[in-house]
Amino acid sequence: MNHKELIASMAAKLNAPKSIVADLLETTVTTCTELLVEEKTIGFQSFGNFEVRKKEERLSVHPSTQIRTLIPPKLVVNFKQSNILKDKLKNLRHNE
Amino acid sequence: MNKEKISSQEIIDLVSSKSSVSKRVAEEFLKVLISSIEEALLAGEVVKIKNFGTFKLLWNEPRKSVNVQTGDDILLAGYHKVSFTPDTILRDLVNEPFAHLLPVELDSENPEPIQEKTDVALDPLRIFTDQAAEIKDLLSEIQALSSAGDSKILKEESEPVLPVESTVVAEDVYKLIQEESVVEHIQEEQVAIQIPNEVTEPVQTQKEAGPIQESPVEFVYEEKHQKSIVTEIDKQQPVDSVVSIHEERQFNDENKSGQSVNSIPELDSMEFLKDIKPRRKRKVWLLIVIVIAVIVGLSAGLYLFCPPVTDFTNSSIEKVGKITDNVVASVANLFHTKPKQTPPVARTIIVPKDTMVNDSVDDEVAVVEKESVDSLQVMFDNPRVYTKFIGSEVVKPGNRLTIMSKKYYGNKDFWVYIYEANKENIPNPDRISEGTVIRIPKLDSRLIDVTNPRCIKKAKELHDVYVKNKVN
Repeated sequence: MNHKELIASMAAKLNAPKSIVADLLETTVTTCTELLVEEKTIGFQSFGNFEVRKKEERLSVHPSTQIRTLIPPKLVVNFKQSNILKDKLKNLRHNE
Repeated sequence: MNKEKISSQEIIDLVSSKSSVSKRVAEEFLKVLISSIEEALLAGEVVKIKNFGTFKLLWNEPRKSVNVQTGDDILLAGYHKVSFTPDTILRDLVNEPFAHLLPVELDSENPEPIQEKTDVALDPLRIFTDQAAEIKDLLSEIQALSSAGDSKILKEESEPVLPVESTVVAEDVYKLIQEESVVEHIQEEQVAIQIPNEVTEPVQTQKEAGPIQESPVEFVYEEKHQKSIVTEIDKQQPVDSVVSIHEERQFNDENKSGQSVNSIPELDSMEFLKDIKPRRKRKVWLLIVIVIAVIVGLSAGLYLFCPPVTDFTNSSIEKVGKITDNVVASVANLFHTKPKQTPPVARTIIVPKDTMVNDSVDDEVAVVEKESVDSLQVMFDNPRVYTKFIGSEVVKPGNRLTIMSKKYYGNKDFWVYIYEANKENIPNPDRISEGTVIRIPKLDSRLIDVTNPRCIKKAKELHDVYVKNKVN
């Protein structure tokens, strides 16, 4: 499901035009992004938490060339699902 | 790090204020958003939100674990996990504080400074060769100073004593041994000194045997000779002590310069006594000079034959250069101070001189080799002019400059010289057009010495230069 499909399904549920839904989604996304840039954790009840984690710098060695590279530290967005979502997903059958 | 948690309610407030919709609408919207994402995920779909990221379901396999309390094996059930991969925009925005940091290849750090060092590394080399030349000059000066009086003796020192001389010695000893009683007493006292008792017997037998002698016996003869002189001249003095010291100190001289002993048989014992102390000093100097000569020789050898050293690129060259500089400096100091410390008597210089002559020979060899290396460097630095050609080849399909180089010079790396000689005919060294006549230049054999890593290195450098030129 890509961006457009998501907007379409939401518009159908909300009985609202797609343009408004698209605007609202964009606003939500920018708001979340701004908050994450400020390194704040966003928690959606029943869905999960978005948080920023710091990955420390590390030394990586290329397995075949043996070139050692110093990877600088970085900040990444991490999503952790809530237990409610996890329980919902438990009912899902594992196909593979 | 600010770990302040923003609840969904705050998000709703923010969104409603930003897009000027009622909170109720915003709340509804967010609920629908989350529920539709969940639905899509439950349907096994991937949800992608523009500028935000992708939600995806991942299956975590069930795994075995151990109950920490009881130690029993337990099986953790597999579960689905919602993974979120942030979009590049979000990722970059979040990582902004560290965005300026780039991965650093640690191993690639080394070659760069070394390449910068190449020019610097050549300087110690030049200093070293300069100093070597200085030493050479000094040595030749010292040689010239003392060679006037001592050249003959020096030659004899390096050569074994001639049998003719020894016969003369023998005759002298003949006469002297007639005062056997005195001499033999001394000999017996001298057991501590290297002469074994047996040797005294052969000496006596050789009185009858005549002048055919072996080298160890010669020494004995000479020693006896010396002792007898000492005893003759200075019987009142404590003979054995004088002789023993004299023995130790004179051993080299008397062994080597038998003739001088013969020609000056009346050396005063007093003179010897005077000489004893300086000689001891000289022996120490002799040792130091030998050690330094060995170090200089070794470093020169290392310098010339070790590939990493000849590379100039390795940082070890600097160390070697410094060490050799120190050595050279100390050697130079030694030679400077030498004339002051040793008495200016011509004879006293003989012993150190002997070794110094050898040193100078070694050094000359080293210097010559260094010069050849230097000339190689000059050859590298100067643009090569190709006037003589040893052959020419018409390019056929599949023929390459490297193949020609291998054929004519024995190593494919030297193709650069062929390229240099035919630059005007070859626009691109990688692709030489068919039918082009390639002239194979005659090169100095030192320049294409397959065994010399410097030559190959230079060729590779040229290779880099030309290949880069082509790329540019």
